[in-house]
Amino acid sequence: MPLIALVRKEVIPVPRKISMRIDGEMISATDDQSILQAARANGKYMPALCYMEGLSPVGACRLCTVEVSGVNRLLPACTTPAADRMSVTTNSPKLQQYRKIALELLFVERNHICAVCVSNGHCELQNLAIEHGVTSVRYPYSYPKLPVDVSHPRFVLDHNRCVLCTRCVRVCAEVEGAHVWDVASRGTNSLIVCELDRPWGESTGCTNCGKCVQVCPTGALAEKGRAVEEMVKREEPILQLVSRRGAMS
Amino acid sequence: MSKVRLATVWLDGCSGCHMSLLDIDEGLVAVAKRADIVYGPLVDAQEFPENVDVTLVEGAVSNQDDLKLIQTIRKRSKMIVSLGDCAVTSNVPAMRNSIPVKKLLERIYVEGVQENPGVPAQGVPPLLKHAVPVHDVVKVDLHIPGCPPRAEAILYVITELLAGRKPDLTSKVKFG
Amino acid sequence: MRIEDLSSFNAAREAGMAKLLPSQPRIAVGLGTCGSGNGSEGVYHAFASAIDRLGLSYRLARVGCFGFCAEEPLVNVWLPGKPLVILHRVQENDVDAILDCVTQGRVPVEQALCKIEEWDHITAHIKYGSGFPEIPQWDQIPFFKGQKKIVLRNCGLISPSDIEEYIAVGGYQALYEVLIEEKPEAVIEQLKSAKLRGRGGAGYQTGLKWEALRKAKGDQKYVICNADEGDPGAYMNRNEIESDPHALLEGMIIGGYVMGATEGIIYVRAEYPLAVHRLNRAIEAAQACGLLGENILGRGFNFKIHLVEGAGAFVCGEETALIWSLEGRAGRPSPRPPYPAEKGLYGLPTNINNVETWYNIAPIIVKGPAWFTETGSPKSPGTKVFSLVGKIRNTGLVEMPLGTPLKTFVYDIGEGDASSRGVKAVQTGGPSGGCIPQEMFDTPVDYETLAQLGSIMGSGGMVVMDEDNCMVDVARYFIEFTHSESCGKCVPCRVGLDKSLHILNRVTQGKATEADLATLDELSRMIRDMSLCGLGQTAPNPVLTTMRHFRQEFEDHIRASRCRAGVCEELALSPCENSCPLHMNIPRYLQLLKEDRLEEAFESVFMDNPLPASTGRVCQHPCENRCRRAGIDEAINMRDVHRFIADAVFESDRFEAMADRIASHRLAPTGRKIAIVGAGPAGLTCAFYLSLLGHDCTLYDPNEKPGGMLRYALPEYRLPESTLDKEWEIIRRTGVRFVGNTRVGTDVGLDELENQYDAVFIASGTWRESWVDMAGNDLKGVFSSLRFLESVAKGRETDLGSNVVVIGGGNSAIDAARTARRLGAKVTIVYRRERKDMPAIPEETAAAEAEGARIIFLAAPQRIRGDSSGRVQAIEVIKTRLGEFDKSGRRRPVPTDETMRIECDTVIFAVGESAESEFARSSGIKVKDSGLIEVDRYSMMTSREKIYAGGDIISGPTNVSNAMGYGKKAARLMDEHLTGSRRFAAVFPQFEYDQTPPLHPSESRRHLVTELPEEERVACFKEATIGLTPVEAMEESCRCLRCDVRNGGE
Repeated sequence: MPLIALVRKEVIPVPRKISMRIDGEMISATDDQSILQAARANGKYMPALCYMEGLSPVGACRLCTVEVSGVNRLLPACTTPAADRMSVTTNSPKLQQYRKIALELLFVERNHICAVCVSNGHCELQNLAIEHGVTSVRYPYSYPKLPVDVSHPRFVLDHNRCVLCTRCVRVCAEVEGAHVWDVASRGTNSLIVCELDRPWGESTGCTNCGKCVQVCPTGALAEKGRAVEEMVKREEPILQLVSRRGAMS
Repeated sequence: MSKVRLATVWLDGCSGCHMSLLDIDEGLVAVAKRADIVYGPLVDAQEFPENVDVTLVEGAVSNQDDLKLIQTIRKRSKMIVSLGDCAVTSNVPAMRNSIPVKKLLERIYVEGVQENPGVPAQGVPPLLKHAVPVHDVVKVDLHIPGCPPRAEAILYVITELLAGRKPDLTSKVKFG
Repeated sequence: MRIEDLSSFNAAREAGMAKLLPSQPRIAVGLGTCGSGNGSEGVYHAFASAIDRLGLSYRLARVGCFGFCAEEPLVNVWLPGKPLVILHRVQENDVDAILDCVTQGRVPVEQALCKIEEWDHITAHIKYGSGFPEIPQWDQIPFFKGQKKIVLRNCGLISPSDIEEYIAVGGYQALYEVLIEEKPEAVIEQLKSAKLRGRGGAGYQTGLKWEALRKAKGDQKYVICNADEGDPGAYMNRNEIESDPHALLEGMIIGGYVMGATEGIIYVRAEYPLAVHRLNRAIEAAQACGLLGENILGRGFNFKIHLVEGAGAFVCGEETALIWSLEGRAGRPSPRPPYPAEKGLYGLPTNINNVETWYNIAPIIVKGPAWFTETGSPKSPGTKVFSLVGKIRNTGLVEMPLGTPLKTFVYDIGEGDASSRGVKAVQTGGPSGGCIPQEMFDTPVDYETLAQLGSIMGSGGMVVMDEDNCMVDVARYFIEFTHSESCGKCVPCRVGLDKSLHILNRVTQGKATEADLATLDELSRMIRDMSLCGLGQTAPNPVLTTMRHFRQEFEDHIRASRCRAGVCEELALSPCENSCPLHMNIPRYLQLLKEDRLEEAFESVFMDNPLPASTGRVCQHPCENRCRRAGIDEAINMRDVHRFIADAVFESDRFEAMADRIASHRLAPTGRKIAIVGAGPAGLTCAFYLSLLGHDCTLYDPNEKPGGMLRYALPEYRLPESTLDKEWEIIRRTGVRFVGNTRVGTDVGLDELENQYDAVFIASGTWRESWVDMAGNDLKGVFSSLRFLESVAKGRETDLGSNVVVIGGGNSAIDAARTARRLGAKVTIVYRRERKDMPAIPEETAAAEAEGARIIFLAAPQRIRGDSSGRVQAIEVIKTRLGEFDKSGRRRPVPTDETMRIECDTVIFAVGESAESEFARSSGIKVKDSGLIEVDRYSMMTSREKIYAGGDIISGPTNVSNAMGYGKKAARLMDEHLTGSRRFAAVFPQFEYDQTPPLHPSESRRHLVTELPEEERVACFKEATIGLTPVEAMEESCRCLRCDVRNGGE
């Protein structure tokens, strides 16, 4: 498992080579990989919002859910270890239907007004919707009233656009080591908060590194001064960083 | 062969979708050969006519007039197509939805003006609590998202419909 | 006192035994939370001070709960050599009397619930003694019959805060054995062959779980007890811990030893203060005895247990969230794998078991796996504790073998419905479970079967629901719960439940569409299949099961804006209005009368119900069953108030004026013609409303005059013809025409009507009497009640003898009996069930008995004997006993060997009626096998577009108000269909009246009609009751609590 342990005591055993099928196609992988990692390493498409290489997987968005033959329930590919002779289906009609519902639910939960969003055109949520043929949402919109935190000199946090994937929380805790972000409250009231719920600009722990902004899949975290469609995220430096840290066992 | 009766309507939107419709350029000629535009901002009709085959709806449903009109349209149209993000998702018009209507109007017409403050009561239709997508109020048969939808997508849909086929928009349009 | 060897262990056991069975009487008060809530603390102190005062040397003990919560406070009294007697509902002021008895060597028999002569503590056997033959054995009373107490073996019998008493009943013996044997693997093998499954709900094999932790590598391992019992309606873990905390500790210490753990943690709900307190004391006591801590029992094993109070979130009951919570983080579940056995608390190997699982450990070790698998079903051995609550007579904690059918819980243990409203469903497994409908009560309660029905075992909550529960509201309630308890981590649960709740709210408000139901179904499946943890995966169960088993209730809300149970506020004015088939605005006419506006009250009543004086006499008054005033004293006599209002106008000189006033509400003529087949209650009602809506209505009826059964089957003493005539007069004035002596099918064809009219409504009723197939039913003097009553009503000759037997228990049987009495005959009624099962109105039955009719219950006719002339001579009946519960929730009568002979010369069958619908069938209308006409329940339309039907012809024989309800509904729907618009409301006048609920309920008692003296009654056919007086009617109106007023009367 690609968990980044802060203190590494145990000796990690050498990964074993395995072979498995993804949508019928035989691929080779190692037994320390998750299904998602094995699939992506073999160039297979796996939709995901909360998963990011180098961060601990949390299985929150459920978009990477797959069917594994012999298992009578659906499994998230990001947290299920790959195993020898495993046969995985990533794209059954049922999975497509369920993923579409999950995406629709994300659109109605908060106020995603793409037309005026800095990330329009570069948004992972929007791209997933297009890929999955979402042309309208059947569920009623929630229209919640949510704050926008503009207190930080360089960045802005717009809760209207947040999908609660917690990539920001994890990159800050696991890569930057600052743990500025966390999730407050529960259910639909869940909210990303800075430290013990203070304005971002007043944070004492924030190093202003901007990693959270770059890993955010939507326009929820953005650089200030960007106009509509102008916010293009750059994840590569972070991916390089985590690979250099040797965290990618 | 009798022509298809096509209507367009402009609810709470910016008219951008109608602009995009006009952007189908020479496609208009082909459409005009097969269809009559019987209602909409582009033609003169005052009353929404009976027996419409297809109505393209731009804009969200925001006020009482929008609501009444769209209900009439539903009764009189065989098919309703939500055209553009405002009709499909409620988009920009919905940005006011988290603010109570009374507060919103006071902010704009009382606090926000220097001269003659006062919420207009006559001549303007009352706002609904929320600006909502068209399919929240009436059944919608097809959605063309986009802000605005690309002209090619609009032409593709109209062409398919005129040919009596159901268009498949997967990956032909942007969502949101 | 440290226990380190066999002798010190035995010493503790003897000390405990001396407390359990002392040489003096022992009195133990049940002091669980349920007992304390019912005042047992006071009872305990009353005993303590009385014992001191009297200078007695009795042993007074505080024990837990024996499980029968509905009967708390429970007190155990034991006299040396005698059985342990459980007294119930003991109050402080009973204490002196109880002690009085005890000092005389007796027990208060009248307060005794049951006795225990000997008790199987599983780990030990206690013989209390014998005696008190008049008190039933504990397992002979319904609530305990069939229960097998393994988990609850000590609950309510030993003191939870006395470790010696626990040791005396075999406690810590299993631990002792395990530590001496030193074969932890053997224990795991025992659990595996006992097939013990986790009692938290998922049912995973405990043995396998233990094995996984035992095999996990690590110096430090944890065992955790999950006591975060958060399901609404479930409290078995609370009671187990409060009553017997040491059994939990023993299970955990054994687990710790077997799995190689050094530390145990009990994660218990902070909302269980008494459980927390008793556990803390138990831990201290066990430590002091050397059963916990360093070098346990001198065997070199070290194990600590500490207690952590829960963080108050439902999701913390999920094992990974529980671990997060223990680590001091917000309780949010994390994906498995890794399972806790690999990476649990603080990343170390951990085992988590539910409270009840731990309680099963010691018994399995002491008695062996073979003993354990004797109980329960093959796949799910053992017992499970359920908290049986809701709309049943007996509520409490019951421990039953797994695989026991659901009906045993509801009907045997629970003894059926608490009200008489019929049990409708059982919700198992709390908010994560599902609803199982009454038709499926044969279902055995085990893990697999419940799962097949879309429910779960869960932690053992069992909520019984009756007809007062709206299943849509039940689903909504549980989704509201899980929605607010969702941690928010994964999308399906966080957003999906929010949208499900939104849709369900719309359904309960009558605003949803059929498409919403499809969306809800799809969404629920997605949440179930895609959620991260058990909370989300099971949260849709209540929705999916109610939609599956109670689809019709959802459709009623959506298509007819109707909540039959009257729970969904937006869809009902008040409980009485909602339960009235005619939906009379009852609070309105009561208020108008209260304001002394009789004429408007009459207008209100008549516009809602065009037969107010007739129904005022003969209605089954479903309104009273739901009246909230019944919670204070008795239901309001709404029926007799509208009888009063109608009679007052009918008998006054204002009748003409009022008749015209009603007729003036007629809308402009529409020019549409409607034929109505049958002029009974349904037909008359339908004609009245259609005529008011401006249609041209003609009634066709085979009889000479309109009224149907009201005129020809109801005896004059119940409903005088003159009353019905007045009502018909007003209906006639709205423009309704009556064509008598015309039978549709013979005199005029249905097709002919269909051609001549714009629509036809069939309300021909059920006039074919049912016949009992038996020897002698063709003898002279055998006839049906319907023919008999009709002949009397029409003034025809009857063949009634002087000694009559009536078979049946419905209103028709009572009518026949009372009529026969009036004709001078001696009457015996024979009914196959019990009195409470009789469908007849109870007042009518009582009146019949007062008039001298004898009723024989639990007897069914077998044959009729005749004399040489072919006349009835006697009837032989076979006695019945009550067997299993049938679909109607009543016990099925089963024949016994005992027969009896009743001499008589007349036998009247009143065993129901059926429909005569050949005329409809031959016109191509879809008719069911029963002869009833099939209609769409949301349009009342038959299989032919222009033809509608309603009343008994579609429902089978019911009663007047139900038939009228169909007539009214059909009028509304036919008008909507004919005109294409919703005009029904336009007919009704508006009334302004006070909208303030009474500040204090009126103190007046319920008023009843006055009955004529019996001698006077049986002498003639004069009406048997005299209606309310004006003062009584007014006082009755004032008793109304005005449930119809909303927003505090704004």
